[in-house]
Amino acid sequence: MNWPLIALRNILRDGTRVISTLLIIAIGLTALLVGSGFMLSTYDSLQEITMRTEGHLIVIDDTPDPLLGGSHQQLSLSNWQTIRESLWDDDRVLRVLPRARFEGVVSKGNRSAVFFGSGVDPKEEFRVHGPFLRTTGVLDPWLTSSQRAEVMLGAQLARTLDATSGDLLTLRTVRSNGESAETIVRLAGLYQNGTPAIDNHTLMVALSTSSALMGSDNVSQLSIYLDKKEESAALQRSLQETIDGVIVQSWQQRATLYHKVKSLYDRIFGVMAIIILTVVFLAITNIISLAIYQRRSEIATLSALGTRPPQIYANFILEALIISIAAAMLGMLLAYAISHAINLAEIMMPAPPGKTEGYPIFIYISWPHYLVTSLVLVVVVILASLLSACRAAKINIARAIS
Amino acid sequence: MTTRLSLNAISKAYGKADNQMVVLHDISFSLNAGEFLAIEGPSGSGKSTLLNICGLIDHATHGDYYLNGAAVSQLNSSERCACRRREIGFIFQRHQLIPAMTVYDNIAYPLQLNNVKAKQIKHDVAQLLTAMGLEHRCNHLPYQLSGGERQRVGIARALIKRPQLVVADEPSASLDHRHAQAGLQLMRELNQTYGASFLIASHDPLVINHCDRKLTLLDGYLVDPA
Ligand SMILES: Nc1ncnc2c1ncn2[C@@H]1O[C@H](COP(=O)(O)OP(=O)(O)OP(=O)(O)O)[C@@H](O)[C@H]1O
Ligand SMILES: [Mg+2]
Repeated sequence: MNWPLIALRNILRDGTRVISTLLIIAIGLTALLVGSGFMLSTYDSLQEITMRTEGHLIVIDDTPDPLLGGSHQQLSLSNWQTIRESLWDDDRVLRVLPRARFEGVVSKGNRSAVFFGSGVDPKEEFRVHGPFLRTTGVLDPWLTSSQRAEVMLGAQLARTLDATSGDLLTLRTVRSNGESAETIVRLAGLYQNGTPAIDNHTLMVALSTSSALMGSDNVSQLSIYLDKKEESAALQRSLQETIDGVIVQSWQQRATLYHKVKSLYDRIFGVMAIIILTVVFLAITNIISLAIYQRRSEIATLSALGTRPPQIYANFILEALIISIAAAMLGMLLAYAISHAINLAEIMMPAPPGKTEGYPIFIYISWPHYLVTSLVLVVVVILASLLSACRAAKINIARAIS
Repeated sequence: MTTRLSLNAISKAYGKADNQMVVLHDISFSLNAGEFLAIEGPSGSGKSTLLNICGLIDHATHGDYYLNGAAVSQLNSSERCACRRREIGFIFQRHQLIPAMTVYDNIAYPLQLNNVKAKQIKHDVAQLLTAMGLEHRCNHLPYQLSGGERQRVGIARALIKRPQLVVADEPSASLDHRHAQAGLQLMRELNQTYGASFLIASHDPLVINHCDRKLTLLDGYLVDPA
């Protein structure tokens, strides 16, 4: 007996029921896929931002400064050159960038502002940020001229100082021994990433400039950029074992925004998924119960002929399986089409908290993710039909037949 | 002669205590192996109700029912299901074919339920289709058949597994004389070859005269033919 064919005939017998079932499942799946696709792409881009700004691995000195309440000294990593050289031969490592943090006051004429500065590798630093740090009005070659020290300013900080490229600025700071120091730098260009904390208050100079200003060759951290982010855990372990006197952190340990957003989105999406799955479950239970009621005489006949109850459920579950697989395919296609259209349309999201600019919505499309989500939905549909079909076996045969 | 089926003071009532409607009163009779027994009676006299109880698809309110000497009124629902599957062929008042199954599948289904081998099923179904004049209909669905054809498929489905007891509710209702004869002929063959017993509710004189004995129901009471 060809049960799938029989199931298919039963499905086709009741067109409206099938179409409504199909649509409920397909639309539920589409919502799940588009919603989770958005969520996953947000996670991806937050991970990407963290990895690009912090590096995949971060090496810092392991002696905390008692004056800073247990946190790490600003310029405490002394053997960074050795560490950097030791990593040159490692194929997994793309770049090793030193960063020296310092603070002070920047002024142009009678305007001045507090800054948080970084001394960076001038050639490499701006290659790692990609789309997450946009530079404007950059004089070429910036930061590299040996004659004069140059500075890159956060765009909003430049506006505060009313400074434009080519202007001369004074950086004043206090060294760790308490001496004050200052230097004059030329504004080479601006950068901006939409985060007020960065755009309003930060600046970057070449490491040589900051070393001279601070009177120290130490840096705050080494940021290690890898070829593949999957390799970071293994490399973290081996570096931690081989290099003495340092702490090797992974990007995850620095990704506070990523972790905050992820826990928020996970909860929002979890609730949404539960609601969608519940709606699908209830709708399917309802539809199958109705179908069973309409077909009670047929069920009674099967039972009168001696069909065991599980075989009777199996027919309904097979029908539900066929419908839900068709619906899953439809839902995946719909989700793909909608996600693709949204990605192409570059619809802008409003600025998230802590940012001044929106960003284009991007929705992640991945077939393994689609298949797993569809599978979850198919299982929910099967459970719903099982629940309804169980009631079918309790039918009063004599009454259903007459 | 062995007793196939025996009813002892069976009664059936619908509804609760104060609003009770008794449709079968104190019915006792027995059916021997290989016997054809007709039940006649006006519409609403309780024929279908009685047959449903005998076919194990309904429960009696009181009384005992023995099938092949076993007290089947005590069985639980899965035992009753197994008993229907193995021992009883049911011809329904309205054919009750499975709409999504072809004629062939409808007839083959009881054999499949009893785990008969595919080759045997093929052979038996083909033979019965020919005997019932339905061979050209074997791949049709029930909705494509006439009322009489459906009834013949229903008869074939009840007889295919050669049950010990066939319960038939108005089997000739939508059949013409020729097909009713053919159906009775098949039942007779089954009866003579395998000793099957028949319990048939009918108004049709052709069917009643064909039977060995008849009982008359009137308002739920078994009336003495005398
Ligand atoms: N579920 C029920 N609830 C109440 N009364 C019922 C129920 N089912 C059947 N009856 C009653 O039981 C009586 C016997 O019905 P039954 O179907 O057995 O008659 P019948 O002899 O087969 O009639 P027909 O020749 O028309 O098929 C009828 O009066 C009917 O109204
Ligand atoms: Mg009747």
